[in-house]
Amino acid sequence: MKNWLVLLLSLMAALVLFFFLTIFYQQTVPNHIKLDQPIQFVMKSSEVVPMEFWGIAERGIQEAAKEYGVTVELSGPRFEKEIDQQIIILEEVIEQRPPLIVLVAADYVRLVDSVKKAESYGIPVVTFDSGIDSSIPVSFIATDNIAAGEKAGREMLRLLEGRERQKIAIVSHIREAATAIDREKGVRQAIDATQIIGTWYCDVEEDKAYEITLGLLDDPTLGGIVALNEVASLGAARAVADRQLQDTIQVVAFDNAVRELTFLEAGVIDATVVQRPYNMGYMAVKIAVDYLSGKPVPEFHDTGSVLITRENMFQREYQELLYPFRNSP
Amino acid sequence: MKGLFRIGTLGSRIYTVFIVFIFGTIFIMQIVSFQFTVTTVRNSMIASNRTLLSQLTRQIDSYIEDMENLSLAIIEESGSQDVLRSEYAVSLNDHRALIQEQIGRYLKARDDILNIYFTDLSGTIFSADAAVQINPWSDVTESPWFVSALENPDRTIISGSYVQNLIVGEYSWVTSLSRGILSSDTEEPLGVLLVDLKFDSIQELCQSMVTGRRGYNFILDENGDYVYHPTQQLVYSGVKDEPVQQLLEIAQQDEQNMFTDGQHYYFVNTSSMTGWHVVSVLFRDDMITDWTYVQITYAAIGLILFLIVGLATNRITRGITSPVKRLQGIMKSVDTGDFHLVGQIDATDEIRELAHDYDIMVTRIRELMVENVKEQELKRKSDLKALQAQINPHFLYNTLDSIIWMGEMRQHKEVVLMTSALSKLMRISISKGRELISVRDEIDHVRSYLTIEEMRYRNKYDSHIDIDPGIGDEHILKITLQPLVENAIYHGIKEVDHKGLIEITGRREAKVLIFTVSDNGRGMSPETVEKLNTLREEPDDEADRASGQGMGVRNVHARIRLYFGESYGLHCESTPGVGTTITVRIPSSEAIR
Repeated sequence: MKNWLVLLLSLMAALVLFFFLTIFYQQTVPNHIKLDQPIQFVMKSSEVVPMEFWGIAERGIQEAAKEYGVTVELSGPRFEKEIDQQIIILEEVIEQRPPLIVLVAADYVRLVDSVKKAESYGIPVVTFDSGIDSSIPVSFIATDNIAAGEKAGREMLRLLEGRERQKIAIVSHIREAATAIDREKGVRQAIDATQIIGTWYCDVEEDKAYEITLGLLDDPTLGGIVALNEVASLGAARAVADRQLQDTIQVVAFDNAVRELTFLEAGVIDATVVQRPYNMGYMAVKIAVDYLSGKPVPEFHDTGSVLITRENMFQREYQELLYPFRNSP
Repeated sequence: MKGLFRIGTLGSRIYTVFIVFIFGTIFIMQIVSFQFTVTTVRNSMIASNRTLLSQLTRQIDSYIEDMENLSLAIIEESGSQDVLRSEYAVSLNDHRALIQEQIGRYLKARDDILNIYFTDLSGTIFSADAAVQINPWSDVTESPWFVSALENPDRTIISGSYVQNLIVGEYSWVTSLSRGILSSDTEEPLGVLLVDLKFDSIQELCQSMVTGRRGYNFILDENGDYVYHPTQQLVYSGVKDEPVQQLLEIAQQDEQNMFTDGQHYYFVNTSSMTGWHVVSVLFRDDMITDWTYVQITYAAIGLILFLIVGLATNRITRGITSPVKRLQGIMKSVDTGDFHLVGQIDATDEIRELAHDYDIMVTRIRELMVENVKEQELKRKSDLKALQAQINPHFLYNTLDSIIWMGEMRQHKEVVLMTSALSKLMRISISKGRELISVRDEIDHVRSYLTIEEMRYRNKYDSHIDIDPGIGDEHILKITLQPLVENAIYHGIKEVDHKGLIEITGRREAKVLIFTVSDNGRGMSPETVEKLNTLREEPDDEADRASGQGMGVRNVHARIRLYFGESYGLHCESTPGVGTTITVRIPSSEAIR
């Protein structure tokens, strides 16, 4: 036998050996997807200070990224209202040809074109928290905002039971965002339309919400305010507290900023519907990884919401949800 | 090379055995040692994780112990008993500054203490940090730390982690130590000391002491409720699930404080100080991070071993097969009749010995062959001699008989004639022992014979000799024609009544000398002719020899073929009642040359 044949045979044997070891390895260890590039997250606001929500969502994202062995990159405009800025960022991200884009749409309609472009490049898009008006995204991970709004509406009805003032006002944060639209829809599903005197928009500005609420409080029939996000809730609560009307006006809020919780303890805010941003971020990564691994993913994943009142706010199971651990090393 | 892979060759067998068995062995060896490596690494990881976990538990314990000692010291030193014992309303203002200063020292010294509080039995809170505003909505008398501390006044109560809401606008994660403050005289409880530890310290401990990329630690209390979990929200919302029941069960056992669900290894260590179960989770695929590297290493080692074995096999096989093949090649020469010697070859002792023995054998065969040739030659010569010798006595007896008979009849002239003819005959027959004589001499010999026979059978036949004078100097085997003439007389002419005629011719045709001896005697049946022509090939046929018929003819034929080769000899033609012609073919001197 020629030496080169021995070499060939040995190489073949070694390859077979490697193959065998690989089989062994595959049996031992579940396969993780390997990505050359990070999964791109396009958020809607990179400023954590006004909206703690996104900080927690990011922790969920990072935790899942660590667990699933993928890298993620986060980008986005500083403020939620900078929709043009988000479109530019999304376009830039598409040019990087990432394996997948997770989008938190700042606008329900205006980002559709960019998402179509991503689709034409074969980049799958997953939306979370706020979706877009398109069927392109492979999955949408969010709180079922209609259900959450309904929860808030029902709680408001419960709070107003037996009270004199029965009219309800809705303070929403932004006109065109899907979250605002769905939550309002949910509230209106729970409450009879005649009971609702209207919806006001604060454009994600606390002071504006404060001014709106002060105006509303002049109405002697108003018994309750449903504020549809953190900023609107804080503005409304501040106004009610300033007017010392916490016993007269029932406030059902959304989200769980520290100041909201103080208002909740003080009885200004009577209930707040809390989302699970941590789970949302975590599930966004999990579903993205599942999709990239070829596993089936749900079209919509509801991360759920919890109604927090003064009574249950210090229950063990809600503590971390309401008072997240500070980011620690 | 092609030959090596034919089934049944030495090479193919060696290769099959080596490759199947040794490669197989290496293969199994590599897989087993790979498995062994994996197991070893896993076990050492498990061991180190155990160590790490007990270290973590000890650190948590010692941390809590420190804090307990601290809280005892605070109670001793701060004079809190005095404060609480005296009328609260009075003492509060009198001692606030003093106590705050004293306790404030501990607060400043320890970063990890969030705050220290006193409460009296009614739940009035007194913070060590003067700057903070007590949350008016919190009700400490319902808090577990307050209730437990008063129920167990001689113990330090360690709470799990929770959000402390004693201060307005501040919700911090704490682990708290609470202890009833007892009156030094009456042992009656006066109030409760609460030390809030920032939970960060424990969280950091838990997060720093992990094994692997994805490993993590979490803490359960005695009831299986979470004290700490890095992804609490996932656990509480049911996205993640920890096997709490199993963990609590194995926490009861001393030895086996680990279990695995296939993908995760759970280690439990129970803190004696707090009663917490510290759980460490290790991911199976974190144990060896660079699997591919390990696989490649093993495959590379395998490759080297395969190569070494393969090349060694090559060497060994060649060492065996190539001398054998060379030997085989040389021995093949036997087929063609050549006997080559192998001589010195570069091979193992066995092969060399084989070659040596073969050489001895071949040498012996060569000797035997030479001997055989010599013997054949000898035999041929002796056969020839014997054949020639057969002629003489028969004829001599008859002739001498005739001479005696003529002597008795006093025919002196005839006796002289016959005796001189016989003498001539004898002389040519002997011809100094030479086998070849000239045609002329042979014809003289036949003439002498005819002379003798004519005298014996007077007027019985005529003879006519017609020899081409040009072939007189050609050579012929002696006593070739005489037996043919003898045959014509005895088996041809002697049997018929009419006067016989014997014709002898001789000529050259190409390189062959052709002689014929014909008679007009009785002739032979075709069977006899056929027999004579075929039996000539087997001159030693006993049956025929017994009949006497054609014995002389066959002798001649046999001798010609012995001497000149198979392509020469006699041919007989005969017609019954007409006569017989025998043709002799021998090579001319030109052909022999």
